[in-house]
Amino acid sequence: MSTTTAQSGLARARRGLAPGGPGGGPSNRKSKLSSQTRRTFFWLLLPSIVLLVLIHGYPLVYAGVQATHDGSLIDTGNFVGVENFGHVLSSPAFWKAAQFTLWFTIVGVFGSWLVGLGLALLLRTKIPAGGTFKILLLLPWVVPIVVSSTAWNWLVATPDSLIPSLFRSLGLGTPLFLADPNLAAVMVMAFKVWVSFPFMMMMISAALASVDTTVYEAASMDGASKWQQFSQITLPLIARSTYISWILMTIFCVNDFPTIYLLTGGGPVDATTSLVVLAYRTVFQDFQTGPGVAIAFLMTLTLVVVSVFLYRQIRKSSVE
Amino acid sequence: MSAVLHAHPASGPALGVAGPEKSRRVLSDAGLRGRWWRFVLILAITAIVLVPIMVTVVLALTPGPNSTATGLTLENLSNVFSKTLAATWLKNSLITTVSTVIVSVAVAAPAGYVLSRGRSKAVSGYSLLLFVMQSLPIITSVVPLFILFAGLGLVDNLLGLIIIYVGSTMTVATWMMAAYFDSIPVSLEEASWIDGCSVFGSFTKVVLRNSLPGILSTAIFAFLLAWNDYLVAIVFLRSNEIFTLPMGVQSFFQQNATDWSGVMALAVVMMLPPIVVFATLNKYFSVGGIGGSLAGR
Repeated sequence: MSTTTAQSGLARARRGLAPGGPGGGPSNRKSKLSSQTRRTFFWLLLPSIVLLVLIHGYPLVYAGVQATHDGSLIDTGNFVGVENFGHVLSSPAFWKAAQFTLWFTIVGVFGSWLVGLGLALLLRTKIPAGGTFKILLLLPWVVPIVVSSTAWNWLVATPDSLIPSLFRSLGLGTPLFLADPNLAAVMVMAFKVWVSFPFMMMMISAALASVDTTVYEAASMDGASKWQQFSQITLPLIARSTYISWILMTIFCVNDFPTIYLLTGGGPVDATTSLVVLAYRTVFQDFQTGPGVAIAFLMTLTLVVVSVFLYRQIRKSSVE
Repeated sequence: MSAVLHAHPASGPALGVAGPEKSRRVLSDAGLRGRWWRFVLILAITAIVLVPIMVTVVLALTPGPNSTATGLTLENLSNVFSKTLAATWLKNSLITTVSTVIVSVAVAAPAGYVLSRGRSKAVSGYSLLLFVMQSLPIITSVVPLFILFAGLGLVDNLLGLIIIYVGSTMTVATWMMAAYFDSIPVSLEEASWIDGCSVFGSFTKVVLRNSLPGILSTAIFAFLLAWNDYLVAIVFLRSNEIFTLPMGVQSFFQQNATDWSGVMALAVVMMLPPIVVFATLNKYFSVGGIGGSLAGR
């Protein structure tokens, strides 16, 4: 696995560059090299720092300013303290969107994980043309969302679309996939799973590829059932990459805009409005910059806390 | 953003990995039947999964309602290019994406080198900062950037789009480069230092020269992000002739009756480059590495 090479490479780097490391020259020469190295490192890092400040740092600070003012896109407005946050936190629309975001994330993460796991396990066995299937199944993730949402729209949007017509001809009525609030929510989540499962499949396949198959032979000789082999051997072996993939997918789902917006626009009657969609509409359609940014800011704070926590968890799990 | 890929070819998912069956010397009848069963199953799943993509291609090649053509035709494609600004949108998307890819790699490679070789508190703190920034919703930065860019004349401007794309690819791209550099032994550089090469010199002459796979997978990541983006484009682009392809495709839905033949033809144009890139550079695609690069620092 790349982890091992990464760590040994890092360890070597540490030894190679550490002042006072073995095989170095006289100490004054070493410290000169070290400060020179540090200066080079600074210059190499500089473009990245500038961009980080401009694209991430500055907007974050400015968002804080906007969230505490009653301005618009043109004017900063007056300082109103936490009034915007109060507004947002007491509005039913916010909690409805938060609830949808939560469901969307849960279904998006575990739905795509289950589908990806199933397919990864299936593709791991010997199947004629297995490699071709593996590549074809990655297409939903490679094709731009703008394109796939267009196709999904064509398939389900109106009562005369292909899938509703199919239901009708089977005598199952004419489901209004994007007009019924509950069905629309299901459709958006299904679309998200469709887009995301290849990512999970790749993560799990990569983890499975590093598993030594002789472990299974030994296990089946010891009389372990298929289920025992799966739960006692396979799952623990892919646990680490599963953990990481859940974290990444959670971030992707919470921050997702196009999957939802392009399929339903957040409707019908806000049934599929997530927090990002709500923030976008509040700023760019209702022109209420303060509350819109406050929504985004609340999401940001949650994600900062969650991601620092998860980052620590990953590091801890990699030490073990 | 969905794309997180990195790997040296060796750590990619090996195709056709042998399952437990490998050990059986003779494949029994039951084993063979099981194999075909799974083949049928995976064929059915793949067919269902690919319906939306097949629909797109078929509609793009089927003559539209006002057409006299029969059978499969490229008429929709030529129509969309002659009757809409499709050629301009395609050009805008290409300019934006190619610039983003080049600048992203140029910024991420040196930063990744420092993350890989540096060992100070400041460097690991910077790495944590990148992780936090990467997980923030882009919508938070979009509003302040919109106001900033409006003052600079960068709204409705491809340059503004490129700057934001580079900013948002930068975090993950830096990790990907760092993870790749980790796999290049420092001993290679030490040899060049003894020959009197500076740290910067060994970075460009020794490390970068051996990093083509890492650079390619980073480039693919930046390409996918810039080519597929919709949120930044919808906020920052206003006029038809500045649109990138995602906005172009969406502009079909603003009309009363959607021209499905036209939109699907343009959709095919839009999905071809990612598929071609993916098909040719497939071996540099792997998501496994991101785990390593995340946990490694």
